[in-house]
Amino acid sequence: MNGNPNDVVFRVFCEVIEQMAFMFGEELETEAAEPVSEALCARMTFEGPMSGSMLLAVPDAMCPVLAENILGLEPDDEEVMEKARDALNEVLNVTCGNVLTSLAGEEPVFDLTVPEAATIDSDEWQALATDPNTVAVQVDEFPALLRISLNSSEK
Amino acid sequence: MALNILVVDDSKTVRSVIAKTLEMAQVPVDNLYMAANGKEALEILGENWVDLVFSDINMPVMGGVEMIERMHEDDVLRSIPVIVVSTEGSSTRIEQLKQKGVSAYIRKPFTPELIRNVVDDVVGGGNQ
Repeated sequence: MNGNPNDVVFRVFCEVIEQMAFMFGEELETEAAEPVSEALCARMTFEGPMSGSMLLAVPDAMCPVLAENILGLEPDDEEVMEKARDALNEVLNVTCGNVLTSLAGEEPVFDLTVPEAATIDSDEWQALATDPNTVAVQVDEFPALLRISLNSSEK
Repeated sequence: MALNILVVDDSKTVRSVIAKTLEMAQVPVDNLYMAANGKEALEILGENWVDLVFSDINMPVMGGVEMIERMHEDDVLRSIPVIVVSTEGSSTRIEQLKQKGVSAYIRKPFTPELIRNVVDDVVGGGNQ
């Protein structure tokens, strides 16, 4: 495996969020990720030379900004939250694909599942934020939490 | 020359992003068609003249590889260039796709400049 998975997740996510959404990421201590009332969490799994799962959670307040930046929506678009869910899924999809190539090299073939986003409450957010395996990123004024889980024999 | 372009992806977001990027890249587009999977794409291709196809690989109902294989079974459709846009970066998978007749491969995330360069390479630089 090429590099520490969490370092790779941080680097790749910052590149993806900048290129796709024109937003900038910087390191955030997980303890500094303040509680949020509601958040959206996208999850997906992958299989190949390494198998496991990856998730990306962002506060609800970030979702309209994400959708506006990625899709060029107007702020008053009535379907902004629905479109934001799809946009969040796509950010995770692109991040996961690029993370796997960074970790495993360009030869291996991976099968990725379609990401699915669901609302999480403040307790779930807090549990994720305090997990030592979580990567926390400050994206403009919003916190974002990512976690990659590799099957035990592949860590 | 303005192009008739078909974008095939199960994600509405990706279809919108590709459409927006084509506009930002100043690729001249006459008609822009959208399909959510290979089956829908083949229906559109059967009813409309399309100059260029952008397609994802992993899609429900009919994936990109099967769609490309079906296009190559058709005397008219086999001449339409297909550019695959995907998250996958595996050189093994990219080589497999090229052997199936894919004209070019764009890995996400992509820039308008990259899209423009690939379109110019695939359909020729005369579409200014």
